[in-house]
Amino acid sequence: MAAEGLYKEVLLDHFRHPRNKGELTGADTVRRGSNPRCGDDIEVGVFLRGDRLESVRFRGRGCSICIASSSLMTEAVTGTSLTEARHLCEAMQSWFGQGDGAQVAEPPRDLEALSAVRDYPARRRCVLLSWEALHDALAAL
Amino acid sequence: MLTAVTGPKAGKADSLGERRADFPLLRDAELGRALHYLDNAATTQKPESVIAAISECYREFNAPIHRGLYPLAEEATRRYEQARATVAGFIGAPLAEQLVFTHSATEAINMVAYGWARPRLTPGERIWVTRMEHHANLLPWQRVCRERGAELRVIELGEDGSLDWQAAAGLFDSRTRLISLCHVSNVLGVENPVQAVCARASAEGIPVLVDAAQSVAHTRVNATALGCDFLAFSAHKMYGPTGIGALYAKPARLEEMEPLLVGGGMVDQVTVAAASWAKSPERFEAGSPNLAGAAGFAAAVEYLTGLGMDAIHAHVSRLTRQAVAALAEVPGLRLIPERSVERSAIVSFVIDGVHPHDLAQVAGEQGVALRAGHHCCQPLMQHLGVAATTRASVAVYNSAADIEALLRAIDTARRLFA
Repeated sequence: MAAEGLYKEVLLDHFRHPRNKGELTGADTVRRGSNPRCGDDIEVGVFLRGDRLESVRFRGRGCSICIASSSLMTEAVTGTSLTEARHLCEAMQSWFGQGDGAQVAEPPRDLEALSAVRDYPARRRCVLLSWEALHDALAAL
Repeated sequence: MLTAVTGPKAGKADSLGERRADFPLLRDAELGRALHYLDNAATTQKPESVIAAISECYREFNAPIHRGLYPLAEEATRRYEQARATVAGFIGAPLAEQLVFTHSATEAINMVAYGWARPRLTPGERIWVTRMEHHANLLPWQRVCRERGAELRVIELGEDGSLDWQAAAGLFDSRTRLISLCHVSNVLGVENPVQAVCARASAEGIPVLVDAAQSVAHTRVNATALGCDFLAFSAHKMYGPTGIGALYAKPARLEEMEPLLVGGGMVDQVTVAAASWAKSPERFEAGSPNLAGAAGFAAAVEYLTGLGMDAIHAHVSRLTRQAVAALAEVPGLRLIPERSVERSAIVSFVIDGVHPHDLAQVAGEQGVALRAGHHCCQPLMQHLGVAATTRASVAVYNSAADIEALLRAIDTARRLFA
């Protein structure tokens, strides 16, 4: 079944056992991404140490793609510098960009599991919601 | 008023027969796939007769409407007006001229909002809608009320999805300028008692608009019997083409209504400085009319009439009850509303741990077409306390096999996510 192509085991694992999900108390900045079309609503909190992201956490509700993407995002940016995190946000937006989405051939590191979603334009927004919230959070720092 | 019926012969009231073969898009064997189309509340598939009518228009009688003096143009005009009479007859309009062709049900409602309500709405007056309205029957009223300093009021819902009349204090008082409500909810599937609303409103001199988009395809809708002042519906939800809908109105309301669009074909006399309008319905059909759309619309009506509305209603009601009974057995599944007296061709639900979009995606991969989301009813979603639901909606060509496929898809999704 093709949906099992979309719902890779890695994605399902991150959906069933999301990493870094929970309270955002003490975060240096918190930003929200929401999509009223499907009710997905995610808040992303960034905890800094110096110019590095000591941890990134999220909370909220969403579909499996949205939750898995948020979880993968927190792992991908933890420990990076602000600059690296900003670049990763931009790479993700480019990778899942409007149009044919083919501007970037290689997926940002450790995010290959999301690759299949690029074939489902209606679900791209589910992937990007938490990344946009992170982008806004970084811009606010 | 109905012209000769060309659709299939009417069956027994409870036996519609196998209708799938009438629909080219559903001929799975030819197309090499299995499609369980359960998104009929969004749009229905089109029978061969509708496709043929549209094709025939362009092959045989395409010409300007109400503008040409040669035989072909006269034939095009005749066909267009014949289509109007067919559609008008189908919804029980006493006169064909009471039916205005529009682009959609949405446009029909906007026509009433801007052409009829806005010029006569005064500050402090009220327009009433219900909690279950589609955005198409909410946003036009929001806008005209805001512009005119009027108040938009909402009839709330009881737990079973029925309208809560007790809570609608002042609904029929002298400040109410219009009541606009759906016949059948596109999310809950509940049918509102529009005839009773119209009777009560009429006694108080309050016009009523009925949004019949979700009822005309499988319920007998007779505008005269309902007693409504306005009735809006679209062709594409009743096996007709996209891009055409209709507004029925009482003659007095049409006389009061200003045209939404002005331009060619809707005028009487025009000078550089001013214009006078043609009589209704031309007054409301500026621009070149949608001849092929009207021909397809009429063919859809003839298809429905041929099957018989009672047989159609019995078929979709039986399938809906089957779906409700089967879904109620699924662990973690909650019907929306949980209890309802009767659902009309539409079943909405949520499943613990499975987001509606994930369910619709998985179902789609199994050939089951469902709708997931807020269904253009965000205020209703807020009331229900859910962000989105999954909706299955049935039509004449659906069968128990489609419900079984739906249940299999739900099972797959539950194993994947829940």
